[in-house]
Amino acid sequence: MSRSNGMRLAKAIAFSALIVGAGLGVAAAQSQAIVFTSWGGTTQDAQKKDWAEPFTKKTGIAVKQDGPTDYGKLKAMVESGNVDWDVVDVEADFAAAAAKDGLLEPIDFGVVNRGDLDPRFVTDHAVGSFYYSFVLGFNPASLGEKAPRNWADVFDTKAFPGKRTFYKWSAPGVLEIALLADGVPADKLYPLDLDRAFKKLDTIKSDIVWWGTGAQSQQLLASGEAPIGQFWNGRLFALEQSGEKVGVSWEQNLTAADMLVVPKGAKNREAAMQFLAEATSPEGQASFATDSGYAPVNVKSAALMPKDVAANLPDQHTSSQINLDMAYWAAHRDEIGKRWYAWQAK
Amino acid sequence: MTLSHAAHVPSPARPRRLPAGLAAVTPAFALVAVVFVLPVLALLLRSVLEPEPGLQNYAAFFASTTYLKVLGNTFLVAATVTVATVLLGFPVAWFLAIAPGFWSRLLFAVVILSMWTNLLARTYAWMVLLQRTGLINRTLMNLGLISEPLPLINNLVGVTIGMTYIMLPFMILPLHATIRSIDPSVFQAASLCGASRWQAFTRVMLPLTATGIAAGALMVFVMSLGYFITPALLGGTSNMMLAELIAQLVQSLLDWGLAGAAALVLLVVTLAIYAVQLRFFGFGQARS
Repeated sequence: MSRSNGMRLAKAIAFSALIVGAGLGVAAAQSQAIVFTSWGGTTQDAQKKDWAEPFTKKTGIAVKQDGPTDYGKLKAMVESGNVDWDVVDVEADFAAAAAKDGLLEPIDFGVVNRGDLDPRFVTDHAVGSFYYSFVLGFNPASLGEKAPRNWADVFDTKAFPGKRTFYKWSAPGVLEIALLADGVPADKLYPLDLDRAFKKLDTIKSDIVWWGTGAQSQQLLASGEAPIGQFWNGRLFALEQSGEKVGVSWEQNLTAADMLVVPKGAKNREAAMQFLAEATSPEGQASFATDSGYAPVNVKSAALMPKDVAANLPDQHTSSQINLDMAYWAAHRDEIGKRWYAWQAK
Repeated sequence: MTLSHAAHVPSPARPRRLPAGLAAVTPAFALVAVVFVLPVLALLLRSVLEPEPGLQNYAAFFASTTYLKVLGNTFLVAATVTVATVLLGFPVAWFLAIAPGFWSRLLFAVVILSMWTNLLARTYAWMVLLQRTGLINRTLMNLGLISEPLPLINNLVGVTIGMTYIMLPFMILPLHATIRSIDPSVFQAASLCGASRWQAFTRVMLPLTATGIAAGALMVFVMSLGYFITPALLGGTSNMMLAELIAQLVQSLLDWGLAGAAALVLLVVTLAIYAVQLRFFGFGQARS
C-alpha cells in the first residue's frame, strides 16, 4: 500500500469517526430529564397528563415520553449498561420475572409511600401503575337479543356465532379464561392445567381473531368483526366514552396490573423514584383512573374521584372477581410462552 | 467467481493501488459496519453462546416442528408473493414502457406514490377492505353473490394480497428499465418473420426481459422473507412467518439465543438464494 493511499484511507476513517462522534455529542449535550416509557395510545396520554405534567411542575424535571414498552429493548439496555429508560410501564408477570433476573432497581420506599398502596400491586422492585380487569365485551348490534354472561358463553359458538377475539401474546388471562369456561372453579385455577386449557381453546381455534394492541381490540369489537371476546376494561370504557354501544359483563372478571419499574443502571435513579411517588400518589392515581377507566392502586384515591366514574372501576366488581396469579406466571413465564406460541402457529 | 476469473488473467500489471473511490464509500461502509454488521454478529454469537456454548439453539430450532413449519410458511409466502408480483407487474411495466407520455407519467406517479405512503397506513387500509365486515365482503353480500363472508384476512390470502401490493413497485421498476432498453424493432422483425403474438412474447420478449424479471423477483423474494408488519396484521397465527417468530423470541420470551439461531438460518438461506441468482443471471460479468 502506497503512502498516499494510506493517508487517504486514514482521512476517510477519521472523517467517518467525526460524523459518528458528532452524533454522540449531540445526544450527550441534551439537558437533564427522565424518560418514561409506556404502551402509547389513550393510556399513555393519560399518564402524561396526570403524572408527568404535574411532576414537572413540582420538581422542574422534564419527562420525555418514549414507547412502546419492549422487554427485549429493556433487557438489551441493562446488559449493555447504557440504560436510556428511567421508568417503564410493564405487565406484572414481566415485572416479577425481571426482578428475579436482576434487571430492575429496588424501589426506594423512603420516597414512595408503600403504606398507601394496595399490597397486591407493590413489590420490592415494582409499584403498581394501574390495575385493570379482563372483561367479557360484546357488540349488542351484532349479537342481537341475547347477551353473553360468562366465559363459557364465549366458547359457545352455537349460541353466539361469529368470531371471538382474545389477547394474542403469552400473558396471564386467556388460559385462565379457557379453564373457567371448561368448568374449573376459580379457586382451583392454579397451577394451570395447560393440557386442559389448550384442549378447550382448540374447540374454537378457527373462530379466534387475536388482538395484539388495545386499539385493535376496539376496532374488532366496534366493527362487529369479532362481536364477542376478552378486553381490557379501560379500552371498553374508552369505546363507550366515544359513543359506541358496547356490552360488558363483569362476571368472572380477571384482574391484573401494570407495574412501574426502574431498569437496573437507570441514569436518573433518584428522579425516577420521585416520579414513582408522584404517579402512585392519591391524586395522581385518582386523576389517571378518572381519565382511563382503570382502577387506582392507591387505596386513598377512590375518595378523590367522581362517584359515577368510581362506580365503573374494576374495584367495584369484586363479587366474582378473580386475581390472576402473577407469582405463578413469573415462575412459569418462559415455559408457557414457548408452548403458547407453538400452539398458535400449529 | 472473481477468483477463477482472475486466475486466467495474466496479472503482472494488476494495480496495487486501492480502487479509486474507496475513500468516498468509507463513511457508508463504516456506518454499515457499526450499526448493522456488529449488532448482527453479536446476535449470531449469542446463538452459539446462550444459555451455554454449543449448538443447542440450532438443535432446538430444527427439532421443533413448529419452527420448521414457520420456516416453510416463510418460503411459501415469499414464493407466492414473488409469482403474483411477476404476473401483475409485467403488464404494468410493459404499459409504462410503451404508453404515450401522459399515461406513462400518470401510472408511474401512481406506482411511486403508493411506495411513499406509510406502510402501516396501507396495511390498515387493506384490513378495512378485507375483513369480514369489510368493504369487499359487504358489497358481495349486498349483491347477493355470497351469503357468508369470504375469509380474506387472518390467513394466507390476506398476507398474499397485502404483500403483493406492497412489493409490486420493486418488481415494476427494474422490469420497466429492462423493457425500455429493448429495441422495439425486434418485435417488428419477429412479426415480419411470421411469429404470432404469443411466439413474439415467449421467444423474444421473455428472453430479453429475463434479467429484469430475475432482478425484480430476487428483490421481492428476499424482502418478503424478512417481512414483518404486513404478515403480522393481515395473517393469522397459523401462517406466521420467521420475522414474527424472531420478534416474539426477542421481545416476549427474551430467548435471544434461539432468536439468533433463527436469524442465522434466515440469513444463510437468503445468501444461498442470492448466490444461485448471481450464478444464473449475474449482473453483467458473473457469467463467463
